[in-house]
Amino acid sequence: MTDASELAFNTLGLGKTLPTLDNVALDALDYGVIGFDAQGLVRLYNATESQMAGLTPDRVLGQPLFTVVAPCMNNFLVAQRFEDAATDAVALDATIDYVLTLRMKPIKVKLRLIAEPGAPLRFVLVNRRP
Amino acid sequence: MSQPADETEALLQFLYIAPVGLAQTTIDGEIVMINPLSAQLLLPLSSDGALENLFAALEGIAPDLRNRTESFTAPYGTICEDLKLQISAGVPGRSEARILSLTLLKTGPDRLMAMLRDITREVARELLLRDSEAWLNAILTGITDYAVVRVDAQGRIHDWNKSIGRLTGFQPEDVVGKPYSCFYPSDSTTPERDLDRLREADASGWSMDEGWRLRADGTRFWGSAIIAPLLDHGVPHADGTVSDAEQDEPTYCLVIRDISDKREAGERIREAASCDHLTGIANRRAFFEAAEFELERWQRAPRPLSIIIFDADHFKRINDTHGHPVGDAVLRHLATVLSTTFRQIDIVARVGGEEFAILLPSTDLTDAIAVAERVRRKIAAASVDVDGKQIPYTVSGGVATMDASLAGLDALMKRADTALYAAKAAGRNRIEPAPAT
Repeated sequence: MTDASELAFNTLGLGKTLPTLDNVALDALDYGVIGFDAQGLVRLYNATESQMAGLTPDRVLGQPLFTVVAPCMNNFLVAQRFEDAATDAVALDATIDYVLTLRMKPIKVKLRLIAEPGAPLRFVLVNRRP
Repeated sequence: MSQPADETEALLQFLYIAPVGLAQTTIDGEIVMINPLSAQLLLPLSSDGALENLFAALEGIAPDLRNRTESFTAPYGTICEDLKLQISAGVPGRSEARILSLTLLKTGPDRLMAMLRDITREVARELLLRDSEAWLNAILTGITDYAVVRVDAQGRIHDWNKSIGRLTGFQPEDVVGKPYSCFYPSDSTTPERDLDRLREADASGWSMDEGWRLRADGTRFWGSAIIAPLLDHGVPHADGTVSDAEQDEPTYCLVIRDISDKREAGERIREAASCDHLTGIANRRAFFEAAEFELERWQRAPRPLSIIIFDADHFKRINDTHGHPVGDAVLRHLATVLSTTFRQIDIVARVGGEEFAILLPSTDLTDAIAVAERVRRKIAAASVDVDGKQIPYTVSGGVATMDASLAGLDALMKRADTALYAAKAAGRNRIEPAPAT
């Protein structure tokens, strides 16, 4: 098993590593991880993300990410990037400054958007900015 | 006292997925609480990528928001309601004009609540209905026949051509020198409206309307009319001369088309968007849109303009005593009486639960009171038949007329509402005019 403490938010090639982690390792990461499938349904929701958003995983798993879980990402800055990557069948790995409404407070974060063509899950990683 | 955790979580999720944007700010617009949909709408607008201040985020599309808030001195109240904020103009045929609707409430000395909605689609649907449908009807499809008519600056028909006779059956002596409204049923236009269309054509290059048109034998057909100013001023007389006065007078080309076979399809679309589901007459939105347009005409060229607001008396009692199906039947009956009493040019709409409004162009207070009285008497003398049972009912009405002291439609409606309230207070089954100012 990979040591989670080595997998910092900006680690290169996370798109390849994340799918190999088990839940314990994912929960140990100090940034939020949301994994969702080709239909946009949330399949993975780690402890850090759950804690930041104030929602337990069973309220979120199986729900559509961009309409039910994180509608604030449903715009050209985030959702559109995933759609474009899927349409063009290219890899996406981009980090952007963003503001999330965690527990209805505007919180500055960095989002890392990761998609690999053909991979079962895409990822949004959420890291609080200082 | 702490709530159970799962209750708090349910509340959080409720706000996360709420399909409207909500935000709470300080009086200076500093964001205290904000839900995801607000962030989705605001982030792409925010120039610094931070969502700290609502006024700053909306600076580009609503620069006066801070000012509106500062000048709103009352401790509580609505600073703006459903304010349409145009995000982008859009590119015809490529992208829609994007429009946000903003409602801003002051809920305390240092607290604002904002509600945001993306109404791009609603607005685009309305525009599409209005423009493309009318244009397509007029230009591309289903043309049975057409007439081309030259019209002078006063709306008089300048000369004769065969297309007029072919479409309408009129003879030259019936129409030359007469107002072009001779092609319109008399209750569907007024001399003021005839001139409005010419002024609108001056302002925007063309003016178009669809509706019933009249043939010489009195029969009607569904037609569209486009009026466009002719670029070279002055129309030569038969002998080729143009007087100096006429040189400066604009002239117009009026094209009337018979689009009878397109009427049904067009009407269906229009009804879905602008008709009240229960009664089939215009809905509130359609009323406001048409009335705002009429108010603009009034602002350009003041002329008599009146409004009547009717309210079914003791409607709650009718519902409670006989049930909602009877209440619905009463509303449908009232709507039928209204739409058969008023002219085509009048705007008849259901604007509230049991409240109906009628805007009457080119009608002064005295005439508006007279027709309101007629409606009141008609309804007092009739009853609604529901499964063989006769249900009598009455209405009260308030009448007001537009003048320069009124800021706009809302003020005019408020005045009629006040009169309606007086009619109710004086015992119902009455028409009351608003006191003149």
